Amino acid sequence: MSKVRFEKIKRPEQIKLPFMLDFYPLQDEKYTKINQFFKNLKEGRLTTTKCKNCGKLLWPPRIVCSECLSDELEWVDLGTEGELYGFTEVRLGAPLGFVQDAPFCVGFVKIGGLLISARIDDAKYKDLKIGDKVGLKVVELEDGRVFYRFTPIK
Amino acid sequence: MREVAVVGGGATRAGRREAGWKDLAQEAGKAMFEDVVNLSPKDVDSIFVGAAEPERFAFLSYVAPMVAEYLGITPRKVLARTELACVSGQAAIRYAWNCVATGMSEIAVAIGVEKMYPPDLAEAQTSMACVLDREWDGVNCFSAPPFFAITAQRHMYEFGTTKEQMALVSVKNHHYSSMNPIAHLQKEVTVEAVLKSPVVTPPLNLFDCCPMSDGAAGIILVPAEDAKKYTDTPMYPIGSGQCAIGNAINNLASLTEWVPLKLAAREAWRTAKITKDDVDIAEVHDCFTIAEIMEYEGLELCEKGKGGKFIEDGEPYIGGKVAVNPSGGIMGCGHPLGATSIYHTIEILEQFRGDVHKGRCVSGAEIGIQHSLSGAANQHSIIVYSRGSR
Repeated sequence: MSKVRFEKIKRPEQIKLPFMLDFYPLQDEKYTKINQFFKNLKEGRLTTTKCKNCGKLLWPPRIVCSECLSDELEWVDLGTEGELYGFTEVRLGAPLGFVQDAPFCVGFVKIGGLLISARIDDAKYKDLKIGDKVGLKVVELEDGRVFYRFTPIK
Repeated sequence: MREVAVVGGGATRAGRREAGWKDLAQEAGKAMFEDVVNLSPKDVDSIFVGAAEPERFAFLSYVAPMVAEYLGITPRKVLARTELACVSGQAAIRYAWNCVATGMSEIAVAIGVEKMYPPDLAEAQTSMACVLDREWDGVNCFSAPPFFAITAQRHMYEFGTTKEQMALVSVKNHHYSSMNPIAHLQKEVTVEAVLKSPVVTPPLNLFDCCPMSDGAAGIILVPAEDAKKYTDTPMYPIGSGQCAIGNAINNLASLTEWVPLKLAAREAWRTAKITKDDVDIAEVHDCFTIAEIMEYEGLELCEKGKGGKFIEDGEPYIGGKVAVNPSGGIMGCGHPLGATSIYHTIEILEQFRGDVHKGRCVSGAEIGIQHSLSGAANQHSIIVYSRGSR
């Protein structure tokens, strides 16, 4: 009978956060055809695609109209001010990557004819109410990617 | 299309289990096969495995052949994994039912498996936040609790629903699950305890939310004409409805009225040739207390906006208008995503057999429905089961 060998092995204690565990979308031309959305956002403009053929305003932005299948879409501005339709505060159960932010507010915002979800920054749950005005905020990650959020307008 | 029967089923105890993904699948498979006679795994020609996110929760993929192997099944007709988030299990049943009904399969298994407690719970939450479009809603932290919190907030705002009414759903379902030996939570709660439980995402407290669970459950489907070979007490899927409208928040039909549920329900009644008044047992998707209240409304058991009053009046209790979640629901039994619908299907089978604790037995039940929803409540799915053959 041969002697059994024992050996301790290692796995890396730390690894770079893999992209597929990162909630923020990839944004440049190499990875998405809607990169214009993020370019606009970098300039402080919240935009989406509108179908030139049937006029449908499409959210999330896309490359083919889901109403008439046209790929003739244009970028339109949604404005920078919205209204809070509903909101809550994430106190427990935040996922990896957001745990350190809790508690934080999130909501559904009516803006430019759409209803979109967003983080509501610089706000406490108890100070918010349905119908509050909120303004666009752009956050930038260290790698240059951007995303939209909103903050209450006093 | 031929008539189909469910001849047996089995499930694991749901909960925070000291067991792995494959352990759960084996436990459920064994219980399922032991529930029927004259049928061995080698007789099964098709298998559908409901699994919502094994890639994330258990770092496993390609699970259908794996489950087949572990259960001793060699599929020769049809096999696949089905994924439809919280409805993955019912999706498996639908495929199995269809395959037997069309003659593609003679004996099909629908089994759901989910292992939701990895060592780090935040990892499980990361998986949950990928159900809604990760790039546009998940990124804003819209996993289930924030979404249903805002749904509750709007329902309270528009219809005057109260936190006390929502708490009553939790009280009812924990009451029934206290008498269910496979339930995740087997303790009663009071309205006061619900209202005082930790706030998760206001207005939802911890006991407004179902638990995440480990668990697995499976059923066996055969042509109705063969059913009595395997059991004295089969049940029969006799109709169904399924509907999805939109996916992103912007594209939902409404936040406070679940239109896809109403459409799925009407289609289920039509195809089963019943009315909603024929339903004795409704096993519905009470992932949050507000969900069950909106389901009373969507199933048209009460008027729109009156779901809170419906529970206040005791109508969804056994002996009321219709017994809603006599199993204890997801709230009490737990929510192992891919297996949940199958747990509640087995509940209906056991109710028809009279094989449940007398404190939660719906005696004389003839018609039961199993409802599941997924995502931003944009998808609803119902199967109608009958105790008797049609």
